[in-house]
Amino acid sequence: MRLTLQMLISHGRVARKMGLGPESRLNMLRNILTGLVKHERIETTLGRADEVRFYAEKLIDYAKKGDTDTKAMKMANFWLTVLLYHRFFLLVSLSYSDPVPSTLFCFCLPDFYEYSWFFGSSSYFLFSLWFQEKDLIPKLFKVLAPRFEAQPKGYTRMARIPNRENLDKAAMAVLEYKGNPFPPLQPAKRENELTLINQLLKGYREEQAQQAAAMVESQ
Amino acid sequence: MAVCTRRLDKVMCSIRLLRNVKHQNERFLSTSLCRLALESDGGNPTTFTPPSKPVIIDKTQTEASLRKFLSPEFIPPRQRTNPLKFTIERKDMIQRRKVLNIPEFYAGSILAATMADPHATGKVNRFVGICIQRGGHGLGATFVLRNIISGQGVEICYELYNPRLQKLEVLKLEKRLDSNLMYLRDALPEYSTVDPDMKPVPHSVTGEVPVNTTRVRMRPKPWSKRWERPKYAVKGIRFDLYLTPEKMEHAQKWAQPWLEYDMLKEYDTTELEKRIFAEVQAEMTK
Repeated sequence: MRLTLQMLISHGRVARKMGLGPESRLNMLRNILTGLVKHERIETTLGRADEVRFYAEKLIDYAKKGDTDTKAMKMANFWLTVLLYHRFFLLVSLSYSDPVPSTLFCFCLPDFYEYSWFFGSSSYFLFSLWFQEKDLIPKLFKVLAPRFEAQPKGYTRMARIPNRENLDKAAMAVLEYKGNPFPPLQPAKRENELTLINQLLKGYREEQAQQAAAMVESQ
Repeated sequence: MAVCTRRLDKVMCSIRLLRNVKHQNERFLSTSLCRLALESDGGNPTTFTPPSKPVIIDKTQTEASLRKFLSPEFIPPRQRTNPLKFTIERKDMIQRRKVLNIPEFYAGSILAATMADPHATGKVNRFVGICIQRGGHGLGATFVLRNIISGQGVEICYELYNPRLQKLEVLKLEKRLDSNLMYLRDALPEYSTVDPDMKPVPHSVTGEVPVNTTRVRMRPKPWSKRWERPKYAVKGIRFDLYLTPEKMEHAQKWAQPWLEYDMLKEYDTTELEKRIFAEVQAEMTK
């Protein structure tokens, strides 16, 4: 590969590096976006929330086109998928030479897309299993798209929360779709009624109301 | 140069003769002398040059039926630069287009470009070739013409807005299956040879541009680039003659199927194109 200066300089690059590479980044974002569509409010690290925000809004834009649009359907099918990695059970099953218990398979219905690398003599398989969240696609088109019909953009809200308690102390953020059924993240501040100006204004409003009532009575 | 002086001498002689004859006896002036004078010009009889054909501008074609074409260099790339830069550049591009007619063409069309060159005989250089690539944005827009001249493949990259470019003619307007025909370098020479004295093929101003669906035959491998890889997305090569299905599958390992779903990579230019097209049309008709 030709090592160019352009590779070292990152001016104008909008996509953050996440995970193991571009494919891994997109897979991670896919998982987070599926979670967001499912729960409408999720908590992740700051960087991931910021990346997903763009994709969340674009997904709503596609959903607004309607489920008859082929491109919109393809996008929804791709993005509303959850990726699960299972290394452990395979290792276990091969060493015990028992048939794999059905319980392990029951919760993941394979749309079995790919199996990756087989490491030589060792019985260590890296499988990537996908399952499509079939009920999220109608939710996207029937619930979320009509909710944001009037708005041209700005369907999501992001708020920072205290850092994670783990050793990494990662900066966390909450990402939500506006109009969700949960209580608001930042409760609406009501002004203090007992300040001087507010009391005077209250008195003025009451006086105006009394005068208006007197006028109506006299007529 | 010597020939010219010799011819000039002869002409001078003949003129002097004529003048003398005229002075002496006008009656002896005959067509034979004229013929002599003509023949002394070089020995060739003058050929009949027909008058130039009139250019017919068909005013019956309405604007609606004409093909809407916006040259790709007008569409600004996705950048963080000030849009003012693009408006100023567009103004300059339109000013140049008012002087020189830059026609509509695509990769795969056959063009003839005449460039001013101080070292060439006649001060102009004419090159005919097939356009393999259109690149660049704004005033730096380029196109590469390829032709094979006496067995040697030649590619020249011209800038559309270079002031040295005198004339740009489209000899054959057509599209190909790909927008980048760099693979012609590894194709058999018959696909890149263009007759330098080719006559322009008439094309219609309305309707769709004809698509040439030829699938090219290649020289034996190794090629300059691995054209079978999905990154190049080449449709115009007959891979079945050179690669086994296993090799084609192996090439698909470099496919990035997630790329088409990555919304970050999308750049929707429809609104921008409409606006710029209206602007350019208005300016050109002024």
